[in-house]
Amino acid sequence: MKWTNVKLIFTREVRDQLRDRRTLFTIAILPLFLYPLLGMLVFQVMQFTREYPVRIWIVGSEHLPQQPRLIEGTQFSAGLFNYPKDNELLEVVLADPDSDAAGSEERHLEAKRAVQSADFDAVIIFPPSFSEQLERFRKQLGDSRLPIQNEAVGEIPNPRIIYDQTRDESRVAKERLATVLHNWRENVGREYLKQNNISEIVAKPFVAEETDVASEEQRRAAVWSKLLPFVILIWALTGAFYPAIDLCAGEKERGTLETLLSSPARRGEIVWGKLLTIMLFSSATALLNLVSMSVTATLMMGQLEQLEQTFPELPMGLPPLVSLVWLVVALIPVSALFSALSLALATFARSAKEGQYYLMPLLLVTMPLIVLPVLPSVQLELGTSLIPVTGLMLLLKSLMESDYQLALVHVVPVIGMTSICCLFAIRWAIDQFNNESVLFRESERVEPGVWLRHLVRNRGETPSISAALLCATFLLILRFFANFQFSTPESWSDLATVTVISQIAFFAAPALIMAFILTRNPRATLLFRVPHWLTLPAAFLLAVLMHPTAMTISAQLQELYPAPEQLQVMVQKLIEDAPNIWALLFVLALTPAICEEFAFRGFILSGLRHLGHPSWAILLTSLLFGVAHGIIQQSIAASIVGCVIGYLAVQSGSILTCILFHLTHNSLAILSQILMEDFLAFLPAAKWAVQSIEGGYSYSWSFVTASLALAVLILVWFSRLPHQLYAEEKLQEAIDNQTVRAVAK
Amino acid sequence: MVLNLFTRQFGHCSPISSVMIEVRELTKTYSDLRRGQFVAVDGISFHAQPGEIFGLLGPNGAGKTTVLRVLSTILCPTAGRVRVNGFDVLTQPDLVRYQIGFVSANTAVYDRMTAWELVEYFGRLYGVETNTLRERMENLFCKLQMDEIRDLLGAKMSTGMKQKVSIARALIHDPPVVIFDEATSGLDVLVARALLDTIGELREQGKCVIFSTHIMREVERLCDRIAIMYRGHILSEGTLHELLESHQQSDFEELFFRLISEHDQQHAAAGIST
Ligand SMILES: Nc1ncnc2c1ncn2[C@@H]1O[C@H](COP(=O)(O)OP(=O)(O)OP(=O)(O)O)[C@@H](O)[C@H]1O
Ligand SMILES: [Mg+2]
Repeated sequence: MKWTNVKLIFTREVRDQLRDRRTLFTIAILPLFLYPLLGMLVFQVMQFTREYPVRIWIVGSEHLPQQPRLIEGTQFSAGLFNYPKDNELLEVVLADPDSDAAGSEERHLEAKRAVQSADFDAVIIFPPSFSEQLERFRKQLGDSRLPIQNEAVGEIPNPRIIYDQTRDESRVAKERLATVLHNWRENVGREYLKQNNISEIVAKPFVAEETDVASEEQRRAAVWSKLLPFVILIWALTGAFYPAIDLCAGEKERGTLETLLSSPARRGEIVWGKLLTIMLFSSATALLNLVSMSVTATLMMGQLEQLEQTFPELPMGLPPLVSLVWLVVALIPVSALFSALSLALATFARSAKEGQYYLMPLLLVTMPLIVLPVLPSVQLELGTSLIPVTGLMLLLKSLMESDYQLALVHVVPVIGMTSICCLFAIRWAIDQFNNESVLFRESERVEPGVWLRHLVRNRGETPSISAALLCATFLLILRFFANFQFSTPESWSDLATVTVISQIAFFAAPALIMAFILTRNPRATLLFRVPHWLTLPAAFLLAVLMHPTAMTISAQLQELYPAPEQLQVMVQKLIEDAPNIWALLFVLALTPAICEEFAFRGFILSGLRHLGHPSWAILLTSLLFGVAHGIIQQSIAASIVGCVIGYLAVQSGSILTCILFHLTHNSLAILSQILMEDFLAFLPAAKWAVQSIEGGYSYSWSFVTASLALAVLILVWFSRLPHQLYAEEKLQEAIDNQTVRAVAK
Repeated sequence: MVLNLFTRQFGHCSPISSVMIEVRELTKTYSDLRRGQFVAVDGISFHAQPGEIFGLLGPNGAGKTTVLRVLSTILCPTAGRVRVNGFDVLTQPDLVRYQIGFVSANTAVYDRMTAWELVEYFGRLYGVETNTLRERMENLFCKLQMDEIRDLLGAKMSTGMKQKVSIARALIHDPPVVIFDEATSGLDVLVARALLDTIGELREQGKCVIFSTHIMREVERLCDRIAIMYRGHILSEGTLHELLESHQQSDFEELFFRLISEHDQQHAAAGIST
């Protein structure tokens, strides 16, 4: 890789984009106007609710009591408003007193009609006996010798407000009426108390006082730390996607791709140059949006002071400077990830138009990851930190809230996961650039039938990459639905049946069937070969030596993510029910070892090796292997073990080695659980290596380190084995070596 | 820079400098949903020397573009061996790209770049020294009469102007091999003629030129040796004189049709017999 070329391509692409009016519009003009416009809109709405005069019809005002007064003249009493100015915004019309005492039904209908026809925004009806009943109640209160009996007083009939929920004016009118009425009711109550010489305090003997330990700045940070990462993310994605389409699909469409490909720039250099360009535009878009938003917010802050009076608990003000700094820092990994993803998708697209269609699926995949961290119960922890976008957002949130300790612990997993995702996406994009069928794809009609026939008819010796991914997706989907199908096992025989059936049906069978349909050489695909005989004892020994490390890792994971106690106890009981150790080993060690190996190291790894990079194939297979385990404690451990088995598969070329390792690994985990106590009793000298602890045992660090070191030696031995490479892998090696060899020549 | 040094070294003291391009048993298949594995080029062999114009003549769909794309490392050969100036296209694509300039109907110019910027950009990608680059650009722009379009954006150029820019782009690193794929398509008679003259000059400079077309007149006028391609096969190869001689024809066009119909007949016969 020559960075001068990357730089050249980068500068060219940036200049190219800047000369494009559409790009400039989305990254510069749009945010500049968007927020002021949005702000104005919000303002208008607020103004509307605050300032809009509404018409109110009061029916039955003659039934109101004299004191305290609700209405004075043709207006509500001045003292009933929170803001005196509001009185002017209520235009009150009093209905004529109904002389002939028309039925209340009729008045009701009349009022409804008035609201429906928008003659009035709201109507309030006071029922005929309203003041009389109030008066009677007051008298009763005054006569303190009698106990108050509601039945004696009779019910005080309720006034009724009639409004139309779907009309903004009507809703506003109702809100204002309700406020006035509420204040008036308080006045009525206070009046009663006064008459009876009771202090007003009776109504509110005490008020709970509140102390918020968060400083004003912290509260501001908390609000912004939810909102701003979201904004940044959305814009980083948008800002990455459109330039990516133009840079890749657009280049194909305009026919300049072939020009570039025949130039000495390597595919990797082209991808990096384009990636950096996209990153630049992605972060620029996000930054400009941030700036525009802050400026708009600052300008509006003065106006918003009124709002502050209404919602005093909502901290108003700009985000603290530190959180802004963190936002800008976080922008780098965010835009890198989104740029790499968009780039890979855009390379796949045939034309700019096709590229546009991919935005929706991309959003559908990323949206849940973006929304997840905003949910109240989602916290930063090891599990969430390993979810691609979510982890990054949670980390950013804790940084913005100055929770540095939490952030520091999770920086490594978050950045690690983000980097892995970026590298995968970049690798994918580079592979697209190397893939002739992607670069020179003709428009094909979409016909699943033709495609399937093509898969079968043109199948190779081993599965293609897409066949491997198809298989993996299929297995994961099967597994996902199976989780709902099988009820939790209740006895050992249940557990055994479910395990064996699901292993065969969801791993072994699909892999075998696909190997026979989608490849011409199922034996080679499933690595059905006799390995070098020494690899078998070596694999066994390796599994034994790795056992302490594996146990230590799962103990650590168990501590981080304790499995529900109930589940543990239940599984323990089921296992104790097992007729004998052999049955246990058969169901929980041998069956998974065979079935999972055929699926993962057999079909999927064989297909993914067409990528041309064995390490990528191993890593990807292991990740899929981990995901297939479903529960997070197992997933992480399985991914790690998967890497080791994948390496054995590549180096030994035989499934037998893999099965043996897997079998030994699983068996040791089970046996150590059951037999460790007896073992320690039998051989107390082993205490330096193993200690019994509550609910199990643990290996000493020195023992773990020593065994791991020996395991590494065995892996080194494996690396020296002669092994077969795929044609793609040989070619990649040759290409990577070409400069070196040219010198040697 | 390092690579550049090699180019210079190998350009002159390569042990097989008498053969600049060597294609042996080249096969290229496309995997196509409908047609299955479609063989676009079927085991062809040819070679070309420095100072020679090698013509690939064939009707539409013969596989010319495919061969030239393999030569310029845009596609990988399915089978066979292709070497350019001693470098293998499959295992040493980077080094091969320094040896060739590729002009094709499919190598467009950038819309939002001026002629000058575009040529400069590719010169830099090839790692040409700044001073040398300037000198060569001035020369090329003068020779190809491109001075008035120097600051014109690609989007505003006519087909002929774009073609000139492409040629300048392909020659900027002074490659020993220049490949033209349907270079005259879409050009008017005057511009096409000027282009053919330019190609003739390249031969004078000792470059190896590969020229593909379906226009017989161009081949007759220009090419030292000719391969007639049809349906992925080379039907016949040699100098114009040799071709006419060996098939006892006086007219090149007649020869062309004869070869093609013979091939079709053979195929039809083979198709029936199997
Ligand atoms: N990407 C592709 N996928 C499938 N088939 C292809 C692809 N590109 C070319 N072909 C097929 O390969 C054959 C040779 O095509 P090619 O472009 O090399 O011909 P050509 O001689 O350059 O023709 P023309 O004179 O029309 O340019 C054609 O039949 C074409 O349909
Ligand atoms: Mg062509």
